[in-house]
Amino acid sequence: MDRRNKRILQTTLIIVVVLGIIVSLYLYAGQRAFVSTIFSGLTLGSLFFLVAAGLTLIFGLMDVLNFAHGSMFMLGAYIGWQFYTNPTFIFGVAPLALAFGTGVMFISVLKPYLIAWNLTPRMQKLLPTIAYILAAVVIVFAVLGFDILGLANTAMVAMTTTTVGNPLAEISPQEPLAEFWIRPVLMMLGGLLIAFGSSKPGDKTQYAPKENLGKAMLLPAILLVVTVVSIFIRESAPVSVLLMNGNIRFLLSILVSVAFGFVFGAVIEIILIRPLYARPTFIILMTLGLSYVIRELVQFLWDPLTYQMARPPLFAMPGKAASIGEWLQNGNSTIDILGATVPTYRLFIIALGIVMFALVTLLMTKTRLGMIIRAGVQDPEMVEAMGINVKSVFTLVFALGVALATLGGIGAAPFLPVQPLMGDAYQTQGLITVVIGGMGSYVGAFVGAMILGMARAFGDYFALKLSLSPAIAEASTVIIMVIVLLTRPQGLFGSKE
Amino acid sequence: MADIALKTKINQKSWFKSERGFLIFIAVMLAFPFVLNLITGTGLNEGITKFWQGQFIIFFIMAVFAMSYDLLIGYGGILSFGHAASFGGGAYTFALLMKHWAPNFIKNTPIVIGNTDITMIVVLLIVLLAVFLVSILIGLMFAVTSIRLKGTYFAMLTLALSTALYIIIKSTDLHQWTGADEGLHGVPLPVWLNPTQNRLTVYLISLAFLVLSYFLMKRFVSSPTGHIVIANRENEDRMRMIGYNPVTFRTIVFVFASIFAGLAGALYSIWNMSATPTMMSVVTTVNALIMVIIGGMGTLIGPIFGAAISQVIQQFFYTWFGARWPLVFGLLFIFIVMFVPYGIVGTYRMHAFNLRRLRERLYKPFSRKDESPEEEKTSG
Repeated sequence: MDRRNKRILQTTLIIVVVLGIIVSLYLYAGQRAFVSTIFSGLTLGSLFFLVAAGLTLIFGLMDVLNFAHGSMFMLGAYIGWQFYTNPTFIFGVAPLALAFGTGVMFISVLKPYLIAWNLTPRMQKLLPTIAYILAAVVIVFAVLGFDILGLANTAMVAMTTTTVGNPLAEISPQEPLAEFWIRPVLMMLGGLLIAFGSSKPGDKTQYAPKENLGKAMLLPAILLVVTVVSIFIRESAPVSVLLMNGNIRFLLSILVSVAFGFVFGAVIEIILIRPLYARPTFIILMTLGLSYVIRELVQFLWDPLTYQMARPPLFAMPGKAASIGEWLQNGNSTIDILGATVPTYRLFIIALGIVMFALVTLLMTKTRLGMIIRAGVQDPEMVEAMGINVKSVFTLVFALGVALATLGGIGAAPFLPVQPLMGDAYQTQGLITVVIGGMGSYVGAFVGAMILGMARAFGDYFALKLSLSPAIAEASTVIIMVIVLLTRPQGLFGSKE
Repeated sequence: MADIALKTKINQKSWFKSERGFLIFIAVMLAFPFVLNLITGTGLNEGITKFWQGQFIIFFIMAVFAMSYDLLIGYGGILSFGHAASFGGGAYTFALLMKHWAPNFIKNTPIVIGNTDITMIVVLLIVLLAVFLVSILIGLMFAVTSIRLKGTYFAMLTLALSTALYIIIKSTDLHQWTGADEGLHGVPLPVWLNPTQNRLTVYLISLAFLVLSYFLMKRFVSSPTGHIVIANRENEDRMRMIGYNPVTFRTIVFVFASIFAGLAGALYSIWNMSATPTMMSVVTTVNALIMVIIGGMGTLIGPIFGAAISQVIQQFFYTWFGARWPLVFGLLFIFIVMFVPYGIVGTYRMHAFNLRRLRERLYKPFSRKDESPEEEKTSG
């Protein structure tokens, strides 16, 4: 039998087996239970995909296993929850964080000039160290006396947007602008110093062309403008956001969360991961430490408590809608699909997952960036030899991956309890998804995520039916992973190395 | 890494001299409870003396666990996130057997030689043997998975496997055996081994365990087998070409490390008189990893330092920084990973030569004139 026939036979076999499993599950569970389990499986699968897509792209391109991905998922949920409930904290801290991010982003502008300097090897070693120490001092001065805990606690103050007038009237006023302006300026200086240190001044082995400066300046310039705007709208914006319609506010909180993830990812890549590419094992250790720090930071700011984010009005109205039209009109919390009662918010998460899959597919197949990423997954050195600045693509992909994780986080926030460990389970499942799907393959991540979501959902269903603990469902994903690894070590859609 | 091989060669020549530091450490640790008792005068089994013995017991056990992890990551070059499975496996085997099997056995079949009842000792030996076997099995399990997978894939598989074990040990289906979420508490122990009644015995046993493990592991890494394990870390393909099967040696180092981790787990469950799911979780592995990184990978003595430091940090950071001390600890860890990647001992060894020169210079400020300029150039 030649190879093609064998392949066709294999594919038919797989389709028959999958169909057989689906039909037998349908017959066993009955229509109602089957449909509702399918929908909870799709929901989980979408969330797994949002986590796994970033992981798989980052790993495939840069060989970086990001163990802080779950923490970033969690951070996205917290940021979104804060913005939705009470954005005072976000708007209060944004000038500082954005200023720092802007400073760091200027690395792409500084680097071409800095590496052209003529410095002795001793100075090459000394200058970054001095820069880092100075940066630490400057940042400490910038945040000294800044009441960050007071700001973080604002979301805990119960808020009603229905009352006419200023919903934030009871909250104590913030520092006046005349005192405040020095903080973002110092933060930006700290970021610039870090950018100076990590661009390795005088290192002639580094490569950074001056021709692309116009493009490289785009992101820092945008960030600079946003920073300046954020300094001025710091006090007025929370009120106007809170007076908005709940659905629009939720949409905005998704955007804020994603934007935060993008900038945060880029900063992390530049500061922490870039210096460690020469020592791959240490990147894993660093991300482990990072996840630890993020988790503790969140507990420091918002106390180790569990929060429940209110669902936006579109999904909040109690009662069951008979059709999609009725749901969109009334904003019911559940909907009737083929006799099964499905929470409408789940439909939103599923849609989010599918839309993101479509967008990632478009990005990877139709754009120049996607082409570079796909080539980089195969051979980063060759891509660099073609004259493409792979380092900046690395930053971009890491930022995109983290943005996908934070998107997953805010998507999951109204659906899961918001707490410091919420990302860990999703990170483990995301890692398993990546292994099943094959590292570096976004299609594999999608298929793997859906398989895992279904396994979890049906595992939970059977555990409930046979009165077992949900441990079976959790362990089932590991079993699937072991089976896949033993039969196809490179994953379902991975290419053989 | 070449300096480690060189060092092991020197070790065989002058054992006492090279192990000077560790021997002093043993002597200090042996004298410690008695000296502290003399100073405070509270009695060996009371007050502050007892408290510090307890702290040191945890330190000894965690040091062995961290050293066994160093065998994997530092010498074998294997990044495994499943090492806690051995630790927790040992702890659970010990606690399970002591709680569910030993009481009946002691009641039904007393073993008496002459006038002394040695049933308890026999039971403990059998249980420890079981711990030994379970650790070997867990080590083999991870070794088998490493046949087909390497590097990151392997790290992820170990993570998933240990998560699966953690889920199983936590599942409510096994509540009557493992106690699910709460774990096994109140493991019955004879009076002489009970850490609340006879802490000094447990202290000495853990110290002896640490000393024995250290010398065994040291012997292992300086043996021909150990050299092949190290060579495997450096270049697996070349070792395969020379004619050594990397899988065999990976299995050996896995099983060896797993045995020590399992025994450390059993000892930890003696100290706690319990076995909890946390012992099996990834957090425990990460703790060992942090200790190894702080102390220095591939040094064996480094993880002991790392365990001591993390123990001290846990004690003092809480009083300095309050409940959120891990935040400072995490930042410190990132700092170490970024700027001191070889850990304390590794960095010291890298700079040992320069330090010695500095010391000589400080002692004999004028002797530099005697040195010829060529020497100055080559050594600097």
